[in-house]
Order: sequence, then C-alpha cells, then structure tokens
Amino acid sequence: MIKLALRGARANLGRLILTLISVVLGVAFVSGSFVLADSLRSIFNQVSEDAFAGVDAQVRGASNDMNSTNGETPRFNDDVISAIANLPEAEYTEGGLFSFERAYTIDANNEVVRPTGPPVFTGSWSGPSPVSSFRMIEGEPPTGQQVVIDPVQAERGGFVVGQEITVSLPTGEPEVFTLSGTIDFGEGGTGGAFFILFDLPTTQRVLGLPGQIDSVVVSAATGVSPDELVTAISAVLPDNLEAVTGEVVIGEQKEDFGTFINIFGNVLLGFAVVVLFVSTFIINNTFATLVGQRTRMFGLMRSIGASGKQIMQMVFIEAGSIGIAASGLGLVGGLGVASALKRLFSSAGGEFPDGPLEIRTRTIVVVIIVGMGVTLASAILPALRASRVTPLEAFRTGGRASRPLTVRIALGSAVLLLGLVFMAIGMFGNPGGTSATLALIGVGGALTFIGVSMLSAMFAGAVAGFIGTPVAALRGVTGRIARGNASRNPQRTSSTVTALMIGLALISGVAVLTRSILDSFEEVLNESISADLWIFETNQGLEFSGLLVEQLAELPEVDQVAGFSPTAIRIGDEVLTATGFDSTTGTSVVNMGIIDGTAEVGRNGIAILDSVAEERQLAVGDQLSVEFEDGFVTTLNVRGIFDDAAIAGADWLIDRDLSREHRITDAITFAGLTYAEGVDPAVGRAVVEATTAAFPQLSVQDNTEFQEEAEGQIAQLQVVITALLVLCLVVAFFGIVNTMVLAVLERTREIGLLRAVGMTRRQLQSSVRWEAAIISLFGALLGVALGLLLGWAAVIAIPDSFVSKLGIPWGQLVVYIIVGGLLGVVAAWFPARRAARLDVLEAISTQ
Amino acid sequence: MTAAARIVNGTKTYGTGDAAVTALRDVNVQFSGAQFTAIMGPSGSGKSTLMHCIAGLDRLTSGDAFIGDTRLADLKDKKLTELRRTEVGFIFQSFNLVPTLTAEENINLPLSLGGRSGDREWIDTVIDTVGLRDRLSHRPNELSGGQQQRVAVARALASRPTIIFADEPTGNLDSNSGSEVLAFMRRAVDEFGQTIVMVTHDANAAATADRVLFLNDGEIVHDMANPTADRILDTMKSIGS
Repeated sequence: MIKLALRGARANLGRLILTLISVVLGVAFVSGSFVLADSLRSIFNQVSEDAFAGVDAQVRGASNDMNSTNGETPRFNDDVISAIANLPEAEYTEGGLFSFERAYTIDANNEVVRPTGPPVFTGSWSGPSPVSSFRMIEGEPPTGQQVVIDPVQAERGGFVVGQEITVSLPTGEPEVFTLSGTIDFGEGGTGGAFFILFDLPTTQRVLGLPGQIDSVVVSAATGVSPDELVTAISAVLPDNLEAVTGEVVIGEQKEDFGTFINIFGNVLLGFAVVVLFVSTFIINNTFATLVGQRTRMFGLMRSIGASGKQIMQMVFIEAGSIGIAASGLGLVGGLGVASALKRLFSSAGGEFPDGPLEIRTRTIVVVIIVGMGVTLASAILPALRASRVTPLEAFRTGGRASRPLTVRIALGSAVLLLGLVFMAIGMFGNPGGTSATLALIGVGGALTFIGVSMLSAMFAGAVAGFIGTPVAALRGVTGRIARGNASRNPQRTSSTVTALMIGLALISGVAVLTRSILDSFEEVLNESISADLWIFETNQGLEFSGLLVEQLAELPEVDQVAGFSPTAIRIGDEVLTATGFDSTTGTSVVNMGIIDGTAEVGRNGIAILDSVAEERQLAVGDQLSVEFEDGFVTTLNVRGIFDDAAIAGADWLIDRDLSREHRITDAITFAGLTYAEGVDPAVGRAVVEATTAAFPQLSVQDNTEFQEEAEGQIAQLQVVITALLVLCLVVAFFGIVNTMVLAVLERTREIGLLRAVGMTRRQLQSSVRWEAAIISLFGALLGVALGLLLGWAAVIAIPDSFVSKLGIPWGQLVVYIIVGGLLGVVAAWFPARRAARLDVLEAISTQ
Repeated sequence: MTAAARIVNGTKTYGTGDAAVTALRDVNVQFSGAQFTAIMGPSGSGKSTLMHCIAGLDRLTSGDAFIGDTRLADLKDKKLTELRRTEVGFIFQSFNLVPTLTAEENINLPLSLGGRSGDREWIDTVIDTVGLRDRLSHRPNELSGGQQQRVAVARALASRPTIIFADEPTGNLDSNSGSEVLAFMRRAVDEFGQTIVMVTHDANAAATADRVLFLNDGEIVHDMANPTADRILDTMKSIGS
C-alpha cells in the first residue's frame, strides 16, 4: 500500500510539486519567524550578560508602576554613592545617570547623526572597571569637556578620535566636546543603538539634573556573596531606593528584550499562520482534484479487494510524504526567510544586530508538526471521499456527477455565522485580555473565510459567468469557451481562488483601514487645529525639552504657544495617561471641543473626554483624587468636558505646570504655536526655526506638512504589512497554476477535439488564460469586497479618537482587482503553453 | 477534376530501429468528391493512421497527403489547423462536443473559431436535416448519445468542408441511433454532394458507403465498389485468415 501510494505521489509529481511549494512557503515563514526571534533573543541575552557580567549589586529607585511611561528610570541623589563605597562589603562602586533621545552629535553638514530605528542614549561613564557595561575600543574615557561614542556613530558622522565634535543638548545650546574615544556596549556591539557618554558631572550638567543619578552598580569584596552585598547596601539606603543582585538585573534585562522580541516574533508568526491557512486551501483543492481524477483507479482497486480504509491510507501517505518534504524544505527555507525579513525591516527603518541564525530543536519539531499537520488536515476530506469510492465506479465512464451543494451551503452558512459571532465577541465583547481578543478575532476571521469560501461555490458559477460575459462578447468563441470553463466547476473555482480572496481581503482591509485613519486624521486637522506650526521629534515622536516652549513664548512673532506632555496618573487603582498642556494657551492651538466648562483647568483642575466622563459619571464641579508618578497625591476639580480627544491624544487633560512638577523630566512630545497678528508666515517660520536649531532632532511643520508626513509614515507601515501579505498572493499564484494544470490535464480530450476542429494553439492559449483571468477576477472581487467589510468592521471596532470615519481607497482597490486578474493570466502562462503543446492525436485518444 | 483528398506513396512508421512499427506501407489512394468511402480492416491494420494522415492530424513519414490541391507537408501547425477548420469535417466515436457550449455553438464551432458566420441558409438546412431545431440551446449532457452524434454530423457539415472524416461514428450508439446517423451521412453525400470517409468495424455501417477500402498490415488489400454487408464480411474473413 505504501509503495502504491508513493508511486501515486511520483506519478503526480509535477502537480504535487506545485502544492509542495505552497506548503513550503507557509512552513518557511513559520520557521523563519522562530529562527529570527531565537537569534535575536540569543544576541540580546548575550548583550545583557556581557553588560552586567561584573555587577554583583545594583541600586535604583524603587519601582513603581507609573514611572515606566517614557522608559526613564527614577532619579535620586548621588550622595548614596559614597555611603555605599564606604561599606566593607563593596569592592568597586560606580554611580551612573542615563537618559535617551536627549543629546545628539552633529556632523560637518550640521545634520544630526542618528540611527534609523534604535534610540540614542546619553549617559555617564567613568572608564573601564569591573562593573562597567562599556568596553573601550579606542582612546581614553571622557573627563570634563570630553565625550566618547560608539564606532558606528563615529563612522556615520565622519568623526575621528581626538577631533572636536558638536553635541546638541537638551538644556539648550549645543556644545563642543573633544571625542576622546570610542566604546562598545558589552562584547557584542551596541545593537544598533547610539551612545553619547560623558563623565558623571558633565552628564548631570548637560541633562539638567545636577547631583542626580539613576543607578549605582557595585561589585562585591572578596568572600562576599552578591546576596550579602545587597543586604549590606540595603541597610544604608533611604526608603525610596532598592538594591538587587546583578543576576536580577540581567534577568530583568533579558525579560525586557524578550518581551519586545516575543511581540515581534508573534506578529511574524501571525503572518505565517495566515500564509499557512491560505495554503491549506491549495492543498485541499489539489487532493480533492487528484482524488476526483483517480476515481476510476480507486474503483478498480476496490473491486480487486482493497478496503476503503486502505484507499484512505493511501491518500494520507501521499499527503504525508508531501508534508515531510515540505517541512524539510520549509525549515531550510526559514533561514532564507529570516534573513530576508531582517532585510525587509532594515529597509523599513529598523536595524537588527548581527549574529548567527539559530535553529533550535523546538523550531524543528514545530515545523515538522505544522508542515505534516497542515498537509494531513487538508487531505482529510479528499481522503474520506476516496475511501467512499465504490468498486462499481471503476466501470463508470464519463464525467462525475457534481455533488449537490445543499450540504456545503448549510455547513458554510454555519461556519460563517460562527466566525462572525467570534469576531463580534472579540471586537465588542469583553473577553478579557488582548490575547483573548486577538485569538477570537483570528479564529473568527479564519472561520469567516472558510465559510465564505464554502458558500462562494454557490455563486461562483453565476458570477464567473457574469464576469466572463464581456470576455465572451469580445473574444468570440475563445472567450465563450473560457467563460464556460471558468464557471463549469463552481466548487473548484471557489476553492482555487480562496487563497487569492483571503490575501486580497487582508490587503484591501489594511488599505481601507489606512485610508480611514488618514481621512479621520485629516478631518481632525481641519476641524480642531488652529496652530500655524507644529514642533515635534522627527523620528519617533519622542520627548524633547519643555524649555523650548518658554523660549518660543518670548519671540515677538509668536502669539500663543502650548506644549503637550503625556503624564502617568493613578485614579483609584488604575494607571492612566493624562495629557499635560499649557492650559492658558492650549485652546488657541487646538480645539478640543469643550462642551461644558472650560479647558483652562489650572493647577488644581482636570478636563475629561465626554465618553469617559459619562462612563465614570463625572461632571463639571466634581472632584477627583489623583496620584502622580512621584507619589504625590492631590485632589483635582473637574473643570471641563471635551469631546475631541484626537489631538490631545488622551482622555484626561491637566495643566502642564502640574505635570512638570511630578514627572521625571520636564519634557514634551509636541508643541503648537500661532503667529502674532500681521506676521508673515515665512518670517514667523524662519524665526521659529532659528530657535529650534538648538534641537536638531526637531521638525517644524505646518498643517499640510504635518499631514503629509503622517500620511507618509502610515503609508510606509501599510507597505510593510502589504509586503508580508503579498506572500499570500504568492501562495495563491501557485494555487492557480496548480488548478489550471489540473484543469488542462482533465480536459485533455476536449482540448484535442478543439484543436482537431480548428482551434489554433494561439486561440487555445488565449482561452486558457482568459479562463484563469475570469477565475482570478472572481477571487479578486470577492477578496476586495470582503476587505471592504473587514476594513469597515475595523473602523467600527477601533475607538473614534483614532479612526472616526470610513475612507475607501477606490483607486487602490481597483488596482488590487486588476492585479488579481493579471495574477491569473500570469499563473495560466505555463498551463496554457502546456495545453497548446499537447499532441492533437494523443489528446483526442486519451481516455 | 482533382480528388477531394489523396495520398501518394504514403508510408508511416512509428518508433525507430528494432522497435519501429510500420503502420502504412507505400499507400496510394484517392477520395473523389461527393463519394462516401468506408475504410475497414482488423485492429492495427493502419486504417486509423490512414485517416489521421489525410485529415492533417498526423504526418506521414514519407510520401504526400493532399486535401484538394494542398500538400499537407507544406503547412505549419497554424495553417494546418486553419485547413482543418475550413476544409475538413470531423466526426469522432465519442466525446465529439465541447461540454461547455450549446448544441448550436458546437455546430458553429469551426466557423466561429475562424471568426466567420458561414452560410446561414446552409446551416439552417443542415440543422433541419438532422432534426435538431428544438435542441439547439441544449448542452451536450442534456442530449442523448444519438443526438450528440447528430450534432457532430451537423458540425462537420456546417462549413461545407472539402472532406469529412468519421472515426467509428456509430461505435457507441444503439442500432437505431446508429442507422439514423448513417442515414444523415448518406443524405449529406447524395443530396448535398459532400465527401465522407468513414473508418468502421461494422459491416452494416460500411455497406451504406459507395466504396469500401480494406486495409491489412498497412496496405490497401482490397477496393470494393457498391458494397453489400455480405460481400464485406466475406472479404473481411479472407483478410483475417
């Protein structure tokens, strides 16, 4: 039986190879996701271990669930350094201060030198020591007006050790430092991040944090264990500080990196699952067709004594051998996928540290299970059908009667309904936790697609016939034959295009969502913005010094200026984000749609988004107890209710003076300003830009530029997502090739007849291609229609503060439909040629 | 007048070397216009090969095949296909019709492939003759075997080809439907002056023809005019022995 099955597999090798490719693509994506995530994890783990190798204990501000908002750690007075250094248990003690996205090196062209993705760290370093995370590569540690940076930054800025370089500083004017050397973080490079390091006093001065540090690292004296060291240190620490062992720090670092890598890996896996899901339809379709074509052979085997079970086994062995081959190839292909993904993300702005690709046993096991599982699962129905072939069917000639659609329709409707219910619960219900929501939406989406795919057989014939009408009219009998073939087997037509349908549904869903976000954004800009200029950090919308607001306010060309800073607050036991804004000037740059009370909340007031106020039953005149990240608790009066959260970006608005006092840094994420009356915009802008020149990381933009920039960024994200989803289209492509090859083979005799009565090769090719075009257009239309629905559902599910209206990118959707059709034409190229090359005589005498 | 089709010194060999099989040996034959010829012979005698080679479905290893004045060896695939479309009609044993097209579309197929509408009056006559007027919009799977073969006959006649080849056209039919189809073919020759060459195993079918060629071992061994079923059977026996 095994032999027979393998023979069967070999006889159908050509067709199975195409199926194989679609499984391999999915499996390779899965294995690539694992390989990439594992490799990154190893690299970052190594970096963490290297960096804290000599640290036995670390002292830091006691952790608090509010102070992680901006990745900044709490600061404390540097007099603990001497207290710790005086302990007999401490061998080497070093205090440090770090911040990120505060200072930048400026190159000869007066441009900021910065990495494309990772942040720029500014901090202190006192030179190589047992507890230091940095390693000197060249030159000397920094003292006084000296700086050290990493070699990548030095190369990009064209800096050499010994040279004087300009560094922009958060406190205001750039300063000139001597580059005393270059450093490495741990042993393994900097992971793409840039470092700008001074000695501690200089760091405290340039960051505007005199006498403050955010950590002390300590190594233990001989014979003292890390735990004993921690105990000794804890005894001399004030209440707001804590000491932990180096091991704990390394563990936390690994966990931090791990969380990021897990998210990243899971997103990739998500795409991989989509691709695999899509390929199951292709496998299923291939096996269904192969089984159908071999009905007579199965009948013959049954009549000479094979049991139904044996027939089923045969199909499974065939599927299994494909699964094994696909798993093996997919595993290897995963390495290619991993490096391709690295490149894709690098080109999109991220940067990954170098390191070897890692294949773990877990990856191999998962890949084999997935590859085998997917293939075998897809073969279940065809295998069952094969096992039900009766011996009598060996003697039946002519076409198989197509099975009634009633069962399929009932089942399809049930599956579709179930899918929609799942998605609805995921989107509107409260299933508890993001992963539950995602799982529900994912499973619901998959079921919806399966349901639609099953149901589409119901109308595939009619719709394909309809699409084919103009083709038939224009292309004469060739077109009529193409149209007839496209609609003659609705079940096959619908399962062939399922992959295309899903791929295009996701791609156009993303396009609809993107358009909606942009349209909503534009509406917000037009309706609620009165600022003439916006100022924000170019790259990632990171924070910058709030001092700039004061400097801008002094300019005669500027009428009103307001800064905005997200601030962690605790109300009850919930940690929320409020926006601190200059409440006296804020309303002149942003219209947040005050519907009750005032936006001028003042130091002891708060304004609330109407929906949030409603939910919490708060109104103007009520009082709220609010805690800040430094532990300060105060009672705020509800002064206003607003209904437009889009620009302020938060449900709660407080005064920036209040936020500034209780935040780790006086930093803002953006500022808006209006010109004084009669100021020429060009002049006003020039003056503002002269002021912001001290902060080269900042962008100054008017509404139009702001909008264009946002569109560019969102569009880029859309490109990356679409690029990943295009893999579905690749799978779909092979699916169409596969079906067309099978269809041509199945119709060999008919083709022979057509050729005999006078159809030229060219006409035949054209007819096969049009057939594929009609089929794919059907899939594309279905996909885009589903995509519209998906996009619409997403717009409804996502809060109005983010997306408030449905935008439909008609142009893009039309392009997708055309691309879908062309995909079919290209996919049919080879099958059409093959059909045209058939020998007329042989074809016509095929049984 | 030139013959509707002829083969001059036609030889057809399959394979090479020791495995070579000669299907036709230096055959010379002419098919005159407005004549109904049957080709008979045991299995493997070369009768199908002979038909395929004159019909432009297969090529001779040596010698020449002509349809009218056209030497088939001179034609590339495209021209040959067009020749089959316009000058040759085909009726196969089974699977004669394109399942996705209606009876009428099937009848018009060779004409529409050439982008022509043909002689409507003639086609109407053909349709009426085979009695398919009320079946025109049906698909092949809605027609009986006999009806399907009648559609095939109508298709072969539709373009008024120089010659029609029929390969066991009644082989799959019950005797009633078979006689009907044969009767139509006979009428096509007698009333419309068509030329038909039919390969058959059936002596009764062959007896409808004006002339019967007997093949054995790739050679024409007997050429019988005005055949009857009995004479045909006798000849077949003598060849078989």
